[in-house]
Amino acid sequence: MAHETYAKTLPADLGAPAFVDDWKTRALMIGAVFSVIAAGLAFADGSIEHVLRAWLLGLMMTFGFSVGGLAMLMVQYCSGGKWGLLLRRPLEAMSRTLPLVFVYWLVIVIWMKKLYLWAQIDGSKAEDVAAALKSGLINEVQAHAIEFKRPMLQPDMFVTVGLFCFLVWAFYTWRLNRLGLERDKDSPENTPMWIKKFENISGPGIIVYAITMSAAVIYWVMSLDPTWYSSVYGLLFLVGQGYMVLALGIIVAVSLSKGEPFKTILRQTEQHDLGKFAFAFVMLNIYLAFGQFLIIWSGNLPDEIPWYLDRIRGHWGIVITLDFIFHWLIPFTLLLSRDIKRNKKRLVWVCQWMVFARAFDLFWLIEPNFKDAARNLHFSWGILEYVAVPAAMVSFWVAFYCTRLKTRPLVQTNDPHVAEILEAEHAHA
Amino acid sequence: MPAREGTYGLLAEFDTPSDLVRAAQQARHDGWRRMDCYTPYPVEEAAEAIGFHRNKVPLVTLVGGLMGLAAMFLLETWISVLAYPLNIAGRPTYSWPAFIVPAYEWTILFAGLSAAFGMLALNGLPALYHPLFNAPNFRDGATTDKFFLCLEALDPKFNLVEARAYLESFAPVSVVEVEY
Repeated sequence: MAHETYAKTLPADLGAPAFVDDWKTRALMIGAVFSVIAAGLAFADGSIEHVLRAWLLGLMMTFGFSVGGLAMLMVQYCSGGKWGLLLRRPLEAMSRTLPLVFVYWLVIVIWMKKLYLWAQIDGSKAEDVAAALKSGLINEVQAHAIEFKRPMLQPDMFVTVGLFCFLVWAFYTWRLNRLGLERDKDSPENTPMWIKKFENISGPGIIVYAITMSAAVIYWVMSLDPTWYSSVYGLLFLVGQGYMVLALGIIVAVSLSKGEPFKTILRQTEQHDLGKFAFAFVMLNIYLAFGQFLIIWSGNLPDEIPWYLDRIRGHWGIVITLDFIFHWLIPFTLLLSRDIKRNKKRLVWVCQWMVFARAFDLFWLIEPNFKDAARNLHFSWGILEYVAVPAAMVSFWVAFYCTRLKTRPLVQTNDPHVAEILEAEHAHA
Repeated sequence: MPAREGTYGLLAEFDTPSDLVRAAQQARHDGWRRMDCYTPYPVEEAAEAIGFHRNKVPLVTLVGGLMGLAAMFLLETWISVLAYPLNIAGRPTYSWPAFIVPAYEWTILFAGLSAAFGMLALNGLPALYHPLFNAPNFRDGATTDKFFLCLEALDPKFNLVEARAYLESFAPVSVVEVEY
């Protein structure tokens, strides 16, 4: 056919370009600088309380990139599409950063008692809860909630559930990554079998991910406030992870396109598609977040509404307003524009902003859980840890991610989409 | 209005969008302006190749959406605050969170309607007659699997013999003359 003459060919070397090493060096340097700043702030503040809170934020960011990347990898195996082929190897690399996230999580496990109110009181003994109530550590509502959630909210269960979730994610990471390489070695005649095989692993995998990820965020973040619950909480984080993983995926794909092989395979069409996909997550995110707010605001029940009051009163109203602007209004208005979605530089700016906005949203979710900060937004040296610690953690994660990117070719070759992505744009509907 | 008689243009038929885009790019480069591409699905490169220009549909949509937002939000505010102030579970009459959902729905509704009718108002549809449908291969192929480039007779460069030779240099499936 005539248009095959217009098709490009894949470069011989499909490995990550050399500048990925420069990214790694830069990330390590930024990580080191922010680690020093974080240590200095902890010294100025005189406690590691805020370091741990900020550590949790950093954990949720890197956890989102890693396990969210795994989930997006499974989504693209089920949905198909050339955007999926484009992001496949970057997403695989994200999923392979799980060991670092596990190490980050261990820090939370070790200092559990400093973070979680329920961990300070041994929920397994009724008299401890009563004693804590008497000493004024917790109020009656919290005592009731901790008593009621006793089977769930105790350190052993926290560790067990966490370990189980990490095992499940590690299994899927290992399986999908290993098969991804095997598929490339196999002959193209077997491709339909491979497509089916990946679908069959990924389909159930997405459900397993949704359940384990919900369990993890309920333990790690929601249980900071033992009294509150929301059935949409897991889904909020799920959408949040899609939001940040797509943003990061676009940043990585566009940045990699300064060199081969992404220079050849990144077409404007797929970039535009990814921008539209990210826009969908921006919408879904505000839909769920506002839906939860509207339901709780309408109900106005004493066991639900304090969670929002903690996050609105005492100057937190400024933060939630900014959160709305940062997290939704800015990405929404910018991603509406077709020109921005098709412009590499501008789309990367928007995506970088989205990653920041996600961190800002997590700050609003995490900090008001603590007694000193609820309904009382105030300055302390410690609160600056929310910048320093996650910045350092994410930088180290990026450095690790760069090493993962280097370990295998950046394009899956045994896929029918490869021929299509090399063609001129819109050769197919 | 030019007289509606004689030759409307020359229609070249291609099998692939890539061939069409190449031909359109070359024709634009060679100074052709009155031409158009016809494809069974949107081919953005073809639009760009023949000098895609912006239209006002996005602006109409934005203004429509903002009007819908303002209209519903103000309507709800007027009802709840001025016309029928009711005490609902002790909430203030101006309870904006409750107004968001209908206001949002109206934003979407107005933006959608503005986009649809704005598009129709600006592109001249519905058109009851178009000369290209006189070409049998256009009738059969334009909505299924063929890609067409039409050089229109209104172009100052247009000359029936030369234009035909020019189109044939792109090795199309066929070149047919289309009458008004």
